[in-house]
Amino acid sequence: MTAKPLSTTRHSMSPQLTERSSGSILRHLIVTEAKLFIREPIGLIFVFAFPILTVLIIGSSFEADDPAFGGAPPSAYYIAAYIGVVLAAVGLVMLPVHLASYRERGVLRRFQASHFSAWALPVAWIAVATALTVVAIATLLATTQLVFGVPAINDLPLTLLGLALGIWTSINTGIVLGLALPNARAAQGVGLALFFPSFLLGGAGPPPAVMPSIMRTVAELVPTNHVVKAIQQPWLGIGSSTTFHLIVLTLIGIVTTVMWVALAHRVTAD
Amino acid sequence: MRTGFLALMLETMLTHPVSPLPRPARTHQRFSSGAVISVEAISKSYSGRCVVDDVNFSVDGGEIFGLLGANGAGKTTTVECLQGLRRPDAGSLRVLGLDPNADHARLRRSIGSQLQQSSLPDRLRVSEAVALFDQARGRDVMAHLDRWGLAEQAKTSFADLSGGQRQRLFIVLALLNEPEVVFLDELTQGLDPAARRDVWQVIRDVRDRGTTVVLVSHFAEEIEALCDRVAVMDHGRIVDTGTPRQITDRHASLTTICFTPRRGLDRQRVARLDGVERIEEHDGQITVFGTSSMIASVCAETLESGRGPDDLRIQHPTLDDALVNLIGAIQ
Repeated sequence: MTAKPLSTTRHSMSPQLTERSSGSILRHLIVTEAKLFIREPIGLIFVFAFPILTVLIIGSSFEADDPAFGGAPPSAYYIAAYIGVVLAAVGLVMLPVHLASYRERGVLRRFQASHFSAWALPVAWIAVATALTVVAIATLLATTQLVFGVPAINDLPLTLLGLALGIWTSINTGIVLGLALPNARAAQGVGLALFFPSFLLGGAGPPPAVMPSIMRTVAELVPTNHVVKAIQQPWLGIGSSTTFHLIVLTLIGIVTTVMWVALAHRVTAD
Repeated sequence: MRTGFLALMLETMLTHPVSPLPRPARTHQRFSSGAVISVEAISKSYSGRCVVDDVNFSVDGGEIFGLLGANGAGKTTTVECLQGLRRPDAGSLRVLGLDPNADHARLRRSIGSQLQQSSLPDRLRVSEAVALFDQARGRDVMAHLDRWGLAEQAKTSFADLSGGQRQRLFIVLALLNEPEVVFLDELTQGLDPAARRDVWQVIRDVRDRGTTVVLVSHFAEEIEALCDRVAVMDHGRIVDTGTPRQITDRHASLTTICFTPRRGLDRQRVARLDGVERIEEHDGQITVFGTSSMIASVCAETLESGRGPDDLRIQHPTLDDALVNLIGAIQ
């Protein structure tokens, strides 16, 4: 009962066809995943439409010289804050629902049973989520530029560092939730339950200066608050705790990376 | 005259009132080239519950090999081990000479899979799915879909396909890269009878092109219609292996002939006919139990002035009967 050795004479492919390289396979997967993310209405609404609509409303809701914003114009304060909302939407809504849906419906098993390597899908998710985040932020800035004007960046390297750490932690959080939660419905429920407090307390809601002290303390514990401050402070040249926020984001990034690597077996069977 | 009538009667019985026999599987193995799959003493447990227990079998090149059993018998776990999707706790496996776990990436290029519990993203279109899972560059996707009757659905999202179209797409994907071995797990589950027979013909065509097929099903009629050999599983163990006919002969009930007897039928004479095991009579109807060799002589005894009973029915034992008896006897 010995199986024959793998045939070397029978090619598994017709002679006129050539085998794709692993790079070509990954590129094709990334493009296809991008199309699928774009066709998912709930993700598009939260990542693109919601931040733009709400920043236009709230940015127009305060007097230009309102002292609650630490000397910055309200529209400038909120533009940076709503970049944090885009990141929260990617990490708490779009990615978890997409990944949990794949796991729940057996899509991951379909990929596992094909020629894709075990890491191809996570790499594609990271690539697509990063690209969509950048496009969503660019769309947000282009829209707000037309309505309010976008303020000049005070410290570009530090702002970009805050943005990069924000993207990293956001995508990691999305992957952790998508792998940890049992199904798409749970991912959507938990994601939305986390998103709205993050949105309201993370800097995109009322400014901390108008909050009672207890709510200011709670807001400081919300991870999105660190993302927003890490971008907002060097951008507008306000505040003095940027280093602290960058350190917190780095720690969150490391912890979530360890968590999703530990959960990576859920991408495969057994 | 009697012989002529018998021939006519048998032909009529075999076309209408008699339970139809499933199309027999081809028993010759045109492409047979030795074992391409060998399974030796594999076992697998989940949380201490043994779902595959000391399973052994081999599959020859170019045959359709069936794994038959009730839900939970361990069939899917066994074929998932063969595809490298699960790692057995004990035993050894070889598929095309490769270890499915150690050589997973290499093996994946030579096998095709249709998994029982798998799906595609809802918004993935049919043509995109084929392009995505294609290992080759230069394939004409539309021509490929046309060949499998899915060209009209090329732009249709997976969520909008019917059950039959989805199963057909899964077959397309499983066969896309011209595998040497293809694993098909509960392929026709949920299909209507016409769609099921279409899929059966596709599987025969696949085998005829030289691909070895491992077919997992709890549906005995499907196994009987398609498979050259079958292993019957129950509670994680293989309880019998052979051709569908061999398993039916070993475990199925007897052939039965049921009819309203003519006046003066000599029951003693019928009971002594070759192949007859016993006769039962209920509500004016006689049921004769025996082997298939009794059919002609019992039918001849039913004649009266050249006419047979209008309600005569013959039931042949099926693999389904054998499966029920086999598993029932074990339990």
